[in-house]
Amino acid sequence: MRARRRTVVLVALLGLLGLAASSLAPSVEAQNVDEIIKRGKVIVGVNTTTPIFGLVGTDGQPEGYDPDVARLVGKYLGVQVEFVPVTGANRLPFLLTNRVDMVIALFGITPERAQQIWFSMPYATEAATLVAPAGRAVKTVDDLAGLRVGVPRGAMQDLILTPQAAAKKINLMRFDDEATALQAMISGQIDVVGTGLLVNRTLNRNDPGKNYEVKIVLRPLHFGIGIRRGQIDLLQWLNTFVYTIKNNGELDAISRKWRQLPLEALPVF
Amino acid sequence: MDYVFQFGVVWREIDALLLGGWLTLRLSALAMVFGLVVGVAGALAKASRHQTLRALARAYVEAIRNTPFLVQVLLVYLGLPSIGIRLKPDQAALLAMVINLGAYTTEIVRAGIKAVPPGQIQAGTALGLSRWQLFRFVVCLPALRAVFPALGSQFILVMLASSVVSVISAEELTAVADTIVARNFRSFEVYLIVTGLYLAMCLAFQAAFAAIHRALFARWSG
Amino acid sequence: MVREFTAHELWFLVLAVRWTIALSAIAFVAGGACGLVVALSRVSRSGVLAGMATAYIKVVQGTPLLMQLYLVYFGSTLLRLGSDAWTAAALGLALYASAFLGEIWRGCIQAVPRAQWEAARALGLGYPSQLRFIILPQASRIALPPTVGFLVQLVKGTSLASIIGFTELTRAAAVVNNATFRPLMVYTAVAGLYFILCWPLSLLSEHLERRLERAGASPVSFQI
Repeated sequence: MRARRRTVVLVALLGLLGLAASSLAPSVEAQNVDEIIKRGKVIVGVNTTTPIFGLVGTDGQPEGYDPDVARLVGKYLGVQVEFVPVTGANRLPFLLTNRVDMVIALFGITPERAQQIWFSMPYATEAATLVAPAGRAVKTVDDLAGLRVGVPRGAMQDLILTPQAAAKKINLMRFDDEATALQAMISGQIDVVGTGLLVNRTLNRNDPGKNYEVKIVLRPLHFGIGIRRGQIDLLQWLNTFVYTIKNNGELDAISRKWRQLPLEALPVF
Repeated sequence: MDYVFQFGVVWREIDALLLGGWLTLRLSALAMVFGLVVGVAGALAKASRHQTLRALARAYVEAIRNTPFLVQVLLVYLGLPSIGIRLKPDQAALLAMVINLGAYTTEIVRAGIKAVPPGQIQAGTALGLSRWQLFRFVVCLPALRAVFPALGSQFILVMLASSVVSVISAEELTAVADTIVARNFRSFEVYLIVTGLYLAMCLAFQAAFAAIHRALFARWSG
Repeated sequence: MVREFTAHELWFLVLAVRWTIALSAIAFVAGGACGLVVALSRVSRSGVLAGMATAYIKVVQGTPLLMQLYLVYFGSTLLRLGSDAWTAAALGLALYASAFLGEIWRGCIQAVPRAQWEAARALGLGYPSQLRFIILPQASRIALPPTVGFLVQLVKGTSLASIIGFTELTRAAAVVNNATFRPLMVYTAVAGLYFILCWPLSLLSEHLERRLERAGASPVSFQI
């Protein structure tokens, strides 16, 4: 009688608990290099919606500059690489909750981010730029007055332009990610898009005739491999790794393959 | 849990959030008005004597009610430019909301019309009223009264669904929240406050609908 | 590497449908189990229980699903539970479903005529037995059409999981879109796939409702 109602409640609670418990399973913590090697695989977060640095190939696997660097990590550790697609919004939470061991996903090195995670030495050069068709006359930030400028939320372009937007009459439009902003550009919904150094090539391939070019380089950027704070062992290994592939030509080969440019000099810290 | 809650960052951005909330309110209010108009038109189309009109209305309702609002929004904002229609984010958001609400209100209004006692319609016809006069004097208000609660719920659903238009850069409440989170990573605090703001807007709309109901139907006896 | 939108891309979208179906199914089952608890609490004689259930329903129904997903996603991060998008989406949608189903089923339980309750009590059955043998079977019949109708809402709701990074159909659309830059074609195809999933369910719900009306049971028409 009363037991019946209790059973229903118990079943429901168990159901909820089961759901919560199953979420605990995936987080396998690997704190240092030995543990990763013992586990046999390294879990890397990569972007899958950005040209050049991370897209999904015809075989359904991530392809691009970052995934190739991740594959080299696997090669030098002697382990398999498991890719986890991440976005600009969730790469930090994924890292902090052990969902991934490291993030190789266009992670620009900034002090604000370094409050929450650690970066390896830079493995790629980029910049926060503003891109528009050749026909659009834009040379400085002042020329953006009255134009629709699309930027990814929280990205460098957003942080740099927002304080000036009201005074300079810039119509700043924020999208969830760079991919959507590029879509808006191609659909003609915005006049100028905040992106990287080389994305204009992709834009020109898809929207030929407009001759997209980099108008303004807002700030040079470098990408680092993101890991959780406190993992000295992993950080040391990753820095050694980046140094190695910089000097043995493998990183240069990746740069030529995806950016069609030789590797520039990368700063170290 | 070694996380330190910092609600202070949210209060610092409160005016940006309220501005976003204001856009949500404006979009929702406009969508409700136009959506109702579309719904009435759709209901009349479905009751029409012309088969093509009925089929078109049915196709519209089924297509909208069986596809996600997010996909509809993306189609309007990113897809329409391919055929030359380029809308600003706010306009695209409003259009998508009206199209979406219109499909649901079509069905609701149709149910309302069906709820009008057939005897009333027969009496009206006997008095020589035209189809338009019938609608205006016999059907309209009773139908509205019958489905008022359902309409109110649907309107509130559209207001809540507006949070989705943040993905096309319309700077409504959710978009402002996302931007704040992208800068200071205080996701839980920001979204908790914003959820509270949505709840407040929902209660406000419910109170408004109750007041409208009283104003329209206070002297109703039937 | 930009590609044309070919059958290959379409197939990638079709494969993503299984995640949509899986997420909907899990949310529906878990949400249904909790929804029953919510519905029973709502009609319970305990004022506290009914009050809590009512508050829960009002909060979930009065806030956007996207916000609920964000809160579960970032909240589980705080509690150091594995914060992958899959779990957050499943949990968030299950909670969403439990509130709506709880409200639907509450209405259906209350639609069972008072006389049935009284007759059951006259037969000497206790409250749980009244529910189990007399009330719930009748309520389930009434509940079937709106429940199937809500399943459609749930399937559509899974599209929001794309915003927190879960790779279901809508996110797959973004991925294909970025590889092919053909938004009209991609999103129309995706809308079509959702339609194929949802329309049969909608038709089923309408069919069940008509059957119920013909049988003369008092229909609880949940317009949502």
